[in-house]
Amino acid sequence: MTEIASGALLIAGAFFYLAGTVGLLRFPDLYTRLHALAKVDNLGLGCIVVGLALQADSFAVALKLLLVWPLALVASAAIGYVIARRADALGIAPWRADHPAAPTEAASKRSDA
Amino acid sequence: MSAAFAFDLLLVTLLLLAALRALTTPRLGQSLLAFVVFGLLMALAWVRLDAPDIALAEAAVGAGLSGVLLFDAWRALCGEPADEAPTAERMR
Amino acid sequence: MTGLELPIALFLLANLAASLWRVLRGPGDANRLLAALLFGSTGVGVLVLLAFAGERAVTPLLDVALTLALLAAITAIAFAQRAWRRATPAEGGDD
Repeated sequence: MTEIASGALLIAGAFFYLAGTVGLLRFPDLYTRLHALAKVDNLGLGCIVVGLALQADSFAVALKLLLVWPLALVASAAIGYVIARRADALGIAPWRADHPAAPTEAASKRSDA
Repeated sequence: MSAAFAFDLLLVTLLLLAALRALTTPRLGQSLLAFVVFGLLMALAWVRLDAPDIALAEAAVGAGLSGVLLFDAWRALCGEPADEAPTAERMR
Repeated sequence: MTGLELPIALFLLANLAASLWRVLRGPGDANRLLAALLFGSTGVGVLVLLAFAGERAVTPLLDVALTLALLAAITAIAFAQRAWRRATPAEGGDD
């Protein structure tokens, strides 16, 4: 039973990683790619970590394994914030469906980060 | 072909690609990013070679600290907001 | 171990290969940085899987995974804050 649950979680994690990579390759601009990267990948990591913790030998190993995930969550949240804010301060315009390449001057006028 | 062999083969290919990129790209910033990626992959390679302590050192130094130091040095070299492309060309 | 760890690690490495394409070609330094970030988070996943794939002890590799998760973030923040200055064109590549 534990084996089946663990395998299912591992496969789910692999799927989320695949979704993150497809998002990185296919999404149109920096912000959407950041969106794909910072969330989906960490969901995949969470699935894999929980799946592996199910088959850990001892409680200490499982706990240490589960500590990897909050660290990755905090790290990716910080990175996503920093990159998006810096990109905004540098004046990189978000992609829009109606007019794809419309650089806004307002963004670059803002104070530097 | 076992999964382990395929894993090692793909890892070596990626290592060579990243190393080539770091060495041959004309722009300094891309070279630095390729070097950071190379450090990450090298940590995985040390794990595959059954050397987790060296992998720890590589992950800390290769992917982390040297990346930070190199980016900082790059910024110091490139100077003020002037366009970085000519500077990077000069630094080749 | 279920025997599934190494194939999934291989699959994640294939994901890394796909995003290495973004590092090599992706327009602008920012997109390359994003791909390098993906390398960080996927690398943590691969390390965690490798820790359970073999017969060796698990905990040292978990240390490696923790270090990688922390320092990849520090590298990315250093790049974004210190080195990333010029507004790179969002699309339409520079190489």
